[in-house]
This record gives sequence, C-alpha cells and structure tokens, in this order.
Amino acid sequence: MTAKKIARRDIADLLNEWSREFGVFVPSRDEGVAKWARWGGGDAGFLEWYRNTVVPPKALFFPPLEEMFSFQKDGDGYHVGQPPPTEDRWLVFGIRPCDARALAVLALTFKDGYQDPYYLARRKNGVLVGLGCTRPYESCFCTSLGISPTDAANVDLMLTDIGDDFLVEAVTDKGKELLSKTSLVQAATGADEARAEEAREAAGARVTRKVDSQGAHEKLRAGFEDKDFWERVSAKCISCGICTFLCPTCYCFDISDELVKKQGARFRSWDSCAFPLYTKMPVENPRREKWRRLRQKVCHKYEFYPDSFDVIACTGCGRCIRLCPVNWDITRVLSSLPAQEQLRLER
Amino acid sequence: MALSDISHRPKFLREGNVYLPHPAVIEKIVIETADTKTFHFNFKDEKLREEFTFQSGQFCLLSVLGIGEATFCISSSPTRRDHLECSIKEVGRLTRALHRLGVGAEIGFRGPYGNSFPLDFLKGKNLVFVGGGIGLAPLRSLIWNVIDNRQEYGRIDIIYGARTPADLCFSYDLEAWQQDKTVNMVTTVDRGDEAWKGRVGLVPVVLEEVVPSPDNSVAIVCGPPIMIRFTFPALEKLGFSPEQMLTTLEKRMKCGIGKCGRCNIGNIYVCRDGPVFSYAEISSFISSEY
Ligand code: SF4
Ligand code: SF4
Ligand code: FES
Repeated sequence: MTAKKIARRDIADLLNEWSREFGVFVPSRDEGVAKWARWGGGDAGFLEWYRNTVVPPKALFFPPLEEMFSFQKDGDGYHVGQPPPTEDRWLVFGIRPCDARALAVLALTFKDGYQDPYYLARRKNGVLVGLGCTRPYESCFCTSLGISPTDAANVDLMLTDIGDDFLVEAVTDKGKELLSKTSLVQAATGADEARAEEAREAAGARVTRKVDSQGAHEKLRAGFEDKDFWERVSAKCISCGICTFLCPTCYCFDISDELVKKQGARFRSWDSCAFPLYTKMPVENPRREKWRRLRQKVCHKYEFYPDSFDVIACTGCGRCIRLCPVNWDITRVLSSLPAQEQLRLER
Repeated sequence: MALSDISHRPKFLREGNVYLPHPAVIEKIVIETADTKTFHFNFKDEKLREEFTFQSGQFCLLSVLGIGEATFCISSSPTRRDHLECSIKEVGRLTRALHRLGVGAEIGFRGPYGNSFPLDFLKGKNLVFVGGGIGLAPLRSLIWNVIDNRQEYGRIDIIYGARTPADLCFSYDLEAWQQDKTVNMVTTVDRGDEAWKGRVGLVPVVLEEVVPSPDNSVAIVCGPPIMIRFTFPALEKLGFSPEQMLTTLEKRMKCGIGKCGRCNIGNIYVCRDGPVFSYAEISSFISSEY
C-alpha cells in the first residue's frame, strides 16, 4: 500500500472523527505527569510537548488496579459475578515503537498456556496508532534492542513526523480500515517519503546510548552467583519499585480481596520484584536481600524471559533510568557485567 | 523452553475465565495437629464433580472470598475420588480464615494446576518417600495412588519425620502404612516425649541409617526447604543420582498459571513448570534462591 499523509493541523479532527467510533486515548498531562487519557477534543497540543509518557501505555491494557470479578456473600456461600466489561472498541493514539513492542512482549506471558482474559480482551478490541520518535531522551537505548524510534513493527497504523505533515502507513488490516474511512488523509508524494526516510535516519542517530543486549544473557548466567557484583550494583537502590511499576514490560501483579458487608470484589494490582514482601512465605523468603531482588529484575529481562519466549523483556525505553530516584542505571549494570573469562579467572 | 501446552488439560480448565473460582463445599474436617487440618470438599456443580480430574502432585488455589486465595497441594489421591482433600497449616490470614470454617461452608477452588509426579517414570521402580511435617501432604496423594496400584511398583520405603510426636500429620495413614506388609514405614521425630516409643532423629540422619538401595529406585522428597537442603546430599551419599531424586517446590504464588511473575527460581516458574522437579533440573539454582 502506498503511503498517505495528513496535515499536522488536521490531527485534532482525525481524533474527533475516531472518537465517534472508538474510545480514543492520547498522551496527556496530569499535574505535570505524562500519562494516557481519553481524548477530550480541542487542539492536539500534546504533539508539541510529547516525548514519551511517564506512565507507559501498558496501564491502558493492564491497569494498575483492576477488578477481576465481584461477589456477594449469601449465608455460607457466595454468588460470583462476571468480570466488569472492557471497552468495546478503542484506540491508542501516539504510542511509541518501544512501548508498542512492550505490549507484544506482555502478550507472550498473558497468552502462554492459560489465557489471561482481561489483557487479551483489551488487546483484541484495541487499535494502536504509532507515532515515531523524533526527540528520544538521553536515557533511551531502543536501538540496542533492535527497535528503531520510528519502527512500525507492532502497531496498526504508523505516523512519522515530516514537518507540516505526518506520513501515514497502514501496517495491519485494522490500520487499513481506519484509513479507508477518513477523508483527512491524502496520497503522499515521493518527496514526502524521502523526508520520512530522512526523519527516520535522524531519529535513529539521536539514540546514542548503547548496550550489548545480545551478550547479556551469557554473562548474566555466568555471573548469577557473583554476590559481590550484585551487591555493588544494587547498593544505592531504595526498593521503591518505580523501575518495575513504570517499566512497560513488567507485568507482576498481586491479587487481593475486598469485602464490605456482603458485597465484595477481587482485584489485581501491579506488584514489584523490588519489594521484599513480594516473595515472602510464612517462614522463608528467598529474596530477603536487595541484591537478590535487583538481580531478579535484570536477569528476568535479559536472561529468563529470553529463555521462555526468545525475546528480551526490555525495550530500551529508558524509563527506569530517567525515573529512578537514586539514578540506578540498567545500562551501566549491563555494561559492567564481568565477562565469563574474567569470572573463571577469579575463581 | 517451549510455550506452555495446555491442550491436554481438562476441558473445564481451558474454557471461560481461568481466574474465576469454582464453588465447593466443605464436607468434613480432620484435625491433624494443633495447627493443621485436612479439609474434605466437593464441587457444588454436579457436572464439574463428574468432569473433574487431577493427578498426584498438582496444586490448587483455595479462596475464602473477601479474604483472599492461596495455593495448596491436593493431598488426596486421584484413585479415591469421591471428594478432594487439602491439608492446611495455619500460618497466615487466609489459612486462619480457612481454619475458622466449618462443615457446610463454601470455599472457592481454582485448578488443578502444575505438572504432576511422573507415574510412567516411577512404574516398575522402588520408591523411597521422604517426608517432613506437612510435606507429607503431596507425598500422601502419590503414596495412596501407588498403593492402589501396588503390583505396578517395586519396594516401597516411607521415611517420615516431624518435630515432635504431636506434629505428625495423617496418623491414620501412618498406621495403615505401618500395617501394610508391602510397605516399609519408618516414622521419626526430632524430639520425643514420654509416650514416644519410636525413632528419634532428623530425617536425613535416619535416612542414612535406613539405607535404601539406589538400584532401580527413585526418592521422592517433600518437606520444608531446610529438610530438602539436607536430604538431597544424604541421598547423593547413598548413591542416588540427581535424576533419581524428585521433589515439589514451594514458592509464594498468586496466579498459579505463570502470569503474576513471583514464583520463579531462575528461568523456572514453579507454577508453570512444576511443582514437581527432579534434583537434576533445579540443582544449579536451588542453593541460591530456595
Ligand atoms: S527505581 Fe531505583 S531505587 Fe526504585 S527500586 Fe528501581 S533501582 Fe531501586
Ligand atoms: S527495563 Fe527499563 S529500559 Fe527496559 S523496558 Fe523496562 S523501563 Fe524500559
Ligand atoms: S504463581 Fe503467578 S507466576 Fe507462578
């Protein structure tokens, strides 16, 4: 399919059009914190300030807190109600390539073996409209994970900023359908495509932070028992959990109940391997020490997830680097992993 | 490691919302020790009662709605299937709530989840069961399973230990196995009392005294992590290879189906890949994360 384009000033109208059919979500600022909110009309001001959101779009598909089902107590027994319905048809506008990849990574867990009905329903009913990154952060390292800041791989429709216009490409059937319904797009010219290619190259070049993501697996496996190393790299961590809560590929959750009089519900909520209670059993706790917990965070992403699903569970979005209160830096950990030969010598 | 295949799992597990508990009713409660009770229960739904199947070693999640949910192994045998049993030690909020329930009360059930003891591998072999405390629960499902198909297995040794005589669970089963001429049953306690006439000594030590031969044998070890850590080396000394030692692992669990992320030891998820493992599969991780 040949590419289309849409004028920058028409984006708001496009969102208005889509809102008639979909619940449309866009980047938005809530007391200065960039997250996702329902498009409320007006002008698409986010196009000017949006680099990436603090709260990743996983929160739309896998909310920080969600009701799994409700129940009613009735004598010695219960009536278990159906889970609350999820949005019928909805659209996320402006998702970055790293975060779109993250949703695909999450899906691997949620559809492996037993199906997770909540995540999968939202994924099925959702349409992803990607927006290429032109201003990556200093902390971004997506290109080390095989993602380009303008990658169209995991979205339905992809937009690339070419100045007064956006180049628009339909990636999936869902994306084609979206395009077929609007009159706001027009055919792109060869010059537009050339400009898009330039923009893509420039964006890729702006991601300067690098890690050896492929080499990490072997080094992590070899260095698993290297307590000194893990103690050293986790020394300043305060176990706040930010690097996992706001990581677009972290999916750990807790399950808890609430009951008021006879009416109750079961909820799930984000949990974090950074917390000591996370693995606490009545007597034992295999990850009482902080270095074991941060080791889990890093090894899960770069060693265990690839072992299960052949893909690294990190997209290089850089959130854990930008948002950590004590400047813990996963790329520094990865690049300071002792090489295997070095470990052998030390032994 | 491939994606988890659930195609061979019972139909009732593959359909609908996997997180919804099935209502079950407590039919009988057996007091095992001061802090442990065995609950006998059955599904409310007639159809599920008939369709339901499980294997020795599998676990389930029991709910007291309003309080929460926790994992327990199914301690009854699939060969005796007019009801299900879970043996539960009171250790926290949920187990306290369960202990407060009486006959007729309703609980929620999810499962059965996890793999199971490899019966095909065990058939024709001598079996050495080594259990500690409440760790006899998963073994007990397998032991009855084996006894109910006695001709298919070789020699049976059961070595079971608890802290004190008052901490021995399933005294009625211990007695039955003691009477059974085809079973060598050894019970031991860490500390005896005036009435105790049996053995005194820690399980790994008693194991070395009883000296089961490793030839054509498999040892199945379940108990608190501390006992497991000492029993494997004792078995190794007796000549058991890592492939000849099985155990079930316990971890804090929430989902039971490989989603919530907390039950891993390295790249192994206890709920998804276990809870039954051979020592060969876990020896590289067990020292540092269990
Ligand atoms: S964000 Fe930083 S301080 Fe908080 S848990 Fe992660 S590494 Fe530790
Ligand atoms: S580990 Fe850090 S850089 Fe990687 S996806 Fe998570 S938040 Fe982004
Ligand atoms: S209990 Fe949730 S992943 Fe194992």
